[in-house]
Amino acid sequence: MNIEKIIERGYYWVDEHARQTSVTLARKLSRRNFLSRLGMMLAGATAFPLLPVARSFAQSSVEEVGDPQSCDYWRYCAMSGTLCSCCGGSYTSCPPGSEASPITWVGTCRNPADNRNYLMSYNDCCGKAVCSRCSCHNTERDKPVYFNSNSSTVLWCFGTENTSYHCTVSLVLGTTDE
Amino acid sequence: MLASSQVFAASPRTNYLLFCSGCHRPSGEGKHPNVPTLVAELGRMMSVPEMRQYLVRVPGASSVPISDAELTEVINWLLTEFNSNTLPRNFEKLSVDEVSEARKKILADPLKYRELHWKSYDD
Repeated sequence: MNIEKIIERGYYWVDEHARQTSVTLARKLSRRNFLSRLGMMLAGATAFPLLPVARSFAQSSVEEVGDPQSCDYWRYCAMSGTLCSCCGGSYTSCPPGSEASPITWVGTCRNPADNRNYLMSYNDCCGKAVCSRCSCHNTERDKPVYFNSNSSTVLWCFGTENTSYHCTVSLVLGTTDE
Repeated sequence: MLASSQVFAASPRTNYLLFCSGCHRPSGEGKHPNVPTLVAELGRMMSVPEMRQYLVRVPGASSVPISDAELTEVINWLLTEFNSNTLPRNFEKLSVDEVSEARKKILADPLKYRELHWKSYDD
């Protein structure tokens, strides 16, 4: 028996096995069951932010209100850039293929859901061409660029492999009123 | 009124997160070679008298828009928070007067001062 025949048989076995398993599954499970599980997986996946930065503060413990794709969303009070939530990421995770800058600028925003002030870290996601959807420019605590470390308009893509700017996420570092 | 004044009387940790952590990162480890670490090394520096004022005179510290008293608190906080294992036994916290005085003499070339009194940044 030559090698090609062995490979062909291997493929056939995999094919047949996959077919049988899917037929069995289709008999056992309703379509809704599949959809509900898929939905659960998707919802679960968004609950885990993928950003590789140290998060001493649990993002999920913050009450959220509003539309994260709108520039009026409370986390964006000091945002200058493009919203990652419009570009295939979320307000806490960079879109696939981009890398979060460890160097950021930090501001504060008041959350209308609990009326507390939060320290916000605006991390730029870098390494991909700029995403031009949902640009957003809010200036709370923003300083002119000659106060470099407190200027939101500076591109913060340094410390990353590639310094091209893609979009910005907004992470909660903690509350200001302890 | 009371609520808003509380917001501005920030703790050293809050001031650290707001004005320093963007570059030095929330746990102080920095990002070599762009941003120096604040962990362990500052404690070792404190065995050299000239390096006390260095912590205040570096542009990142002296130019921060907070009062001398708040800056003193932030520096003492990061010495005890990130450097408790490396501080000399006889270490005394920085005083507000010491910080006010040093803050006026902002370093134009911090790397040169560091090399002169401590060691080069790359060592």
